[in-house]
Amino acid sequence: MSTGNGVARWSVIALVLLSLASLLVGFVWLPSVHADFSAQGLWASICRAAGVPAQWGDPAERGKLASTSTNVVLERSMAREAPPDAVGRGGTLSTQNCTMCHGPQGMSTSGAPNLAGQYPEVVIKQLEDFKSGRRASPIMEALAKNLSDRDVADLAAFFASQPKARVAPTTYSEALPALVRVGAPLRNIAPCISCHGGVDQKLGAPWLEGMPREYLIAQLHAFAGGTRHNDSHAQMRNMARAMTEPEIAAVADFYARKGPPPER
Amino acid sequence: MLAHFWVAFVAFLGAITLGAWQMYIRSPLHAWVNNPEYYYRSVTAHGTVMAYVLPTLVAMGFGYAISELALKRPLIGLRWAWGGFGLVVAGTVLAALAMGLGRASVLYTFYPPMIASPLYYLGVVLVVVGSWVWVALMGINLRAWKRDNPGASVPLAMYGNVAGAYLWAWTSLGAAIEVLVLILPASLGLTDTINAGLARVFFSWTLHAIVYFWLVPAYIAFYAIVPRAIGSRLYSDTMGRVAFALFLVFSMPIGIHHLFADPQVGSGFKFVHAVMTAMVTVPTFLTIFTIVASVEIAGRLRGGTGAFGWIRALPWDNPMMLAVSFSFVMLGLGGAGGLINMSYQLNETVHNTQWVTGHFHLIFAGAIVIMYFMVAYDLWPQLTHCAPLPQGLMRLQLWLWFIGMLVLSLPWHWVGILGMPRRMAYYDFTHPDLHPQAWTVTVSTFGGLMLLVSALVFVFILATARRGASAPAPYTFSASAHPGARAPLALNGLGLWVAMMIALTVVNYGYPIVQLASLKEASVPIIPIGSR
Repeated sequence: MSTGNGVARWSVIALVLLSLASLLVGFVWLPSVHADFSAQGLWASICRAAGVPAQWGDPAERGKLASTSTNVVLERSMAREAPPDAVGRGGTLSTQNCTMCHGPQGMSTSGAPNLAGQYPEVVIKQLEDFKSGRRASPIMEALAKNLSDRDVADLAAFFASQPKARVAPTTYSEALPALVRVGAPLRNIAPCISCHGGVDQKLGAPWLEGMPREYLIAQLHAFAGGTRHNDSHAQMRNMARAMTEPEIAAVADFYARKGPPPER
Repeated sequence: MLAHFWVAFVAFLGAITLGAWQMYIRSPLHAWVNNPEYYYRSVTAHGTVMAYVLPTLVAMGFGYAISELALKRPLIGLRWAWGGFGLVVAGTVLAALAMGLGRASVLYTFYPPMIASPLYYLGVVLVVVGSWVWVALMGINLRAWKRDNPGASVPLAMYGNVAGAYLWAWTSLGAAIEVLVLILPASLGLTDTINAGLARVFFSWTLHAIVYFWLVPAYIAFYAIVPRAIGSRLYSDTMGRVAFALFLVFSMPIGIHHLFADPQVGSGFKFVHAVMTAMVTVPTFLTIFTIVASVEIAGRLRGGTGAFGWIRALPWDNPMMLAVSFSFVMLGLGGAGGLINMSYQLNETVHNTQWVTGHFHLIFAGAIVIMYFMVAYDLWPQLTHCAPLPQGLMRLQLWLWFIGMLVLSLPWHWVGILGMPRRMAYYDFTHPDLHPQAWTVTVSTFGGLMLLVSALVFVFILATARRGASAPAPYTFSASAHPGARAPLALNGLGLWVAMMIALTVVNYGYPIVQLASLKEASVPIIPIGSR
């Protein structure tokens, strides 16, 4: 009986000592040799070691740094199907400034991007970025400036409701260009179809099927050159920068391969 | 019990086929996988079956068997046990359905903010809830036995078994909270953001101790079956109890070593978890010492003399002798690799590389699963009243598994050090930087094929066991080298160790969980799989 209690007592004491020793080393001793941790005293260093979010740098500068690419936070609610009245309002709005370039039902004949069937969150994000100047375009910045949040949502709802340029999405096949299908792993180029539909369709990634070839090439060049930089994680800038000219042409050919459907 | 083992091994056969396919498809022997989604679907199914279904069912089946054989009385709550089994099977079917439809390719570690179909999570929850029935039954059976045998020492096999059950009950709570509170609401569409950092911390709560839940049946086999099977005695019964008690205390509050690269956890906690991870080597070293000493007794009883002469005298034609040797070799290699993984600094060099895959295949699929095979071989005559199983075929199966596992996982360790990332559907072997590593992937493919053949032989042996006319000899567990010794009181119960486990968990996990849960900015949009 006594041995049992002895084992118990010593086990507890040993565990407490071990925990205290490792806490001391982890929270006091190790941080003390790092200037970052110990700059503001012992308590601050313990907090940092515990994982309390720390404020770094000058608070006044922080806001500027955080918003270099886009102000839009993509939310799944943006991708929900809109009620018919929103589609109606968007349709009316679209006749004022959009249809001249993007076509009456969102099918462009002018080299401007097709908007028919575009995912609503894509249209919302791009319009907001034009509005705030995060994406540059003399025409679109001027037009977007006058749109309210509700106008933007209604336009997105309208274009999303229109029939797509190409109905069938890309499905996987060996015939796809290599970059579209498997990317280039060693150059950190992800396959197009892992975000733009085919394998997966990520929130905020546009529907590319049937886009005008010149538009696709221009955008890839703009991403590569940094003149377009409203991709929130620099994902497209990084992809485009690593692509060669023939690759850009091949990808653009592929996504433009079926132009607008026959005249209605 | 038989039902548990059969479902476990049939699922195992399916999953290992997927594993061998994954190895082949990403090797230079085949063109790049058609659609990476299929690859990740396969990885999810392989991981889900191997991590949840196989070990849970083996632990449950073996646990029920131990309860009846070690306590020498029928199981209390047989009906409940069937209920638990039904839940596990139903959960497996549900999860398989979701994975098959391509709505659950999130890997078995879930990885929020990726969100799968609710069917998948419900399936996993059912598997876990089914296993909780087992936990409760093990506790109830032990308690009833103790009440009827006041003052007697609990048989070591049952002690380890219930320790494993309690460990699982506490550790599965983390993933259960993650799924029920964070993931399922998002999966059901009730919310479209998730606190991914918190979810990962909860998963780490489960992720590391789950491997000790996998390991406990193997350790029970080391202590309670191996010495008997090779004609020896267990060197120290108390050491076995110490090992199980230490596993209970230290295997749980160490999971943050899986998050060394995660920014949401403070470095102080990472360090403390690294220290506690180092502590779990203690019960493993104790076990290796005790079992080697027990094996030495067998060698000396068979006339072996001198410092090493006893090794030659060992019964090397006995499959159990072979298995325990293979298991220790793989445990040694994998454990040495594990010391690198658990080191806060060295981990940086191997983080997310094939090294990690090599490590856990060597330890779990190697050292542990080979003992699952032995448990099944050893129990089969009891469960099916079959004639003795063919020893030659068993030896072949074990050799294939051992060599196959080394051929599979040693190249992974090597290329992991060179920086080959894990969880890749394909590698560009035409690139001059990667080309020199291509042969290692081919080698691993052959290792995978050997494992597949070994698994087929294993299931073949069990399926073709002939029913003998005579009843089997009564089943026994290992006898102690010091019979009659009473276990110290503290090592005859589990209360103290469970209390220490919970207390240490609160110290090591309490603050990170509270802090992350109260951080409003920590929520990120979810990414449903296959939604568009």
